[in-house]
Amino acid sequence: MLSHFNFRVILQYLPLFLKGLWATSWISAISIFFALLLGVLACSMRLSSTGFLKKTAGVYIESMRATPLLAQLYFFYFGLPTLHINLNEIQTGILALSLNSGAYIAEIVRAGIVSIPDGQTEAGTAYGLTYLQRMRYIILPQALGVTIPALLGQFIVLVKDSSLVSLISVLELTRAGQLMASERFMPTEGFFTVAAFYLVIYFVLKYLSTLWQNRLIYREP
Amino acid sequence: MIRFNDVNKWFGANHVLKDINLHIQPGEAVVICGPSGSGKSTLIRCINQLEPIQKGEIFVDNIQVNKRATNLTRLRSQIGFVFQQFNLYPHLSVLENVVLSPIKVKKIARREAEENARELLERVGIPDKADDYPSQLSGGQCQRVAIARGLAMNPKVMLFDEPTSALDPEMIKEVLDVMVELAVEGMTMIVVTHEMGFAREVAHRVFFMDEGQIVESNAPDAFFDHPAHERTKAFLSKIITHN
Ligand SMILES: Nc1ncnc2c1ncn2[C@@H]1O[C@H](COP(=O)(O)OP(=O)(O)OP(=O)(O)O)[C@@H](O)[C@H]1O
Ligand SMILES: [Mg+2]
Repeated sequence: MLSHFNFRVILQYLPLFLKGLWATSWISAISIFFALLLGVLACSMRLSSTGFLKKTAGVYIESMRATPLLAQLYFFYFGLPTLHINLNEIQTGILALSLNSGAYIAEIVRAGIVSIPDGQTEAGTAYGLTYLQRMRYIILPQALGVTIPALLGQFIVLVKDSSLVSLISVLELTRAGQLMASERFMPTEGFFTVAAFYLVIYFVLKYLSTLWQNRLIYREP
Repeated sequence: MIRFNDVNKWFGANHVLKDINLHIQPGEAVVICGPSGSGKSTLIRCINQLEPIQKGEIFVDNIQVNKRATNLTRLRSQIGFVFQQFNLYPHLSVLENVVLSPIKVKKIARREAEENARELLERVGIPDKADDYPSQLSGGQCQRVAIARGLAMNPKVMLFDEPTSALDPEMIKEVLDVMVELAVEGMTMIVVTHEMGFAREVAHRVFFMDEGQIVESNAPDAFFDHPAHERTKAFLSKIITHN
């Protein structure tokens, strides 16, 4: 199959692909950052004993997980301007990706937190730490450690999902492929190249998560 | 120092503490023993409000602990608690385990907290383990770190919940030695344990609990040599033949 590839055109479009790769990377990176913040926050709310916080977090998590990302994206893209909230396409994309992924991360982190033995919470409580201090210094460092593989999976989903923002005409990796496919009628070459670049991002993420895990790793008692 | 007035506690329908009254003087070392499920752990966990009580009053240093207005963080920073399973923080080094609460709760400067922690590790006999992680220590060493962690808050009272029952026999002594020393130095302590040698050596009083009640309390020699209640006798004969 490769022998039939028109590498000359791929090369010609390389600057466009690199631009797309760059856009996909930073849009994903920012979204991952916000998704993590949101996820940890929503998860803390869901595990708190205050009914209102618990419910709010529950509604957020369920509604994000129960509806398609594409619908959410369109909802923000068309809905927010009618509320006089004007975000550009990229901001809208980051908003949708962060909110969507945050809900999944909340559940991943929750699974990590409940896997930490009660004795840890008890020790922290007995030694005067507040709820937030226990989370910050005792529970989360351990919970994040055990959830890194699942978080990595979610980050990869986010990167792949970021291809949806091409539908609100953000120039990122998938959009670059679409352009090449439609301008030169070469969908195979176009999307093959797109896939190859996603694979590159995947390996970078995987490498980073290994570094992260090695930093957090400790031997079990 | 610690006073219980008619304390009652239920877990659902399970009446776990029944009309507990006790008064522990500053500098007193008290041992609590009794069969499994009699409420020993629950009793000491109520003192720092790890468990709430439903009826009665508990005072620590003349402050009523089971009131909404009580500053629990302050209360807990005056009470050291040593768990059966150590409950050290596995992701933190020994030194960090000891300094975490002094820094975050008592707002002591890190330098000072670390100095103090190293002194305490020296005192419990493991000065060279400061930079190790709990998983690299033996059970006895872990429990001594846990004691140092408790002492680092400069507490008025130390509570121990079966501190040696998760340990291999050869490690029990090293932990008990540290506790004996504390008692001799005049620390107020309540120790749930079945280590009768410890009780005889340093306890001022021994309490026997059964089915949520303090059935008998006495000075250790009298307690062991002339138990008054049938239930105490039965219990003691069991643990003594078992030892
Ligand atoms: N968190 C809890 N929820 C419900 N019931 C509990 C809880 N903790 C303890 N109990 C019950 O309370 C009673 C007293 O338990 P407690 O742990 O205080 O006993 P103990 O004397 O410390 O026993 P052991 O020697 O086995 O540690 C038991 O019947 C136990 O089943
Ligand atoms: Mg117990």
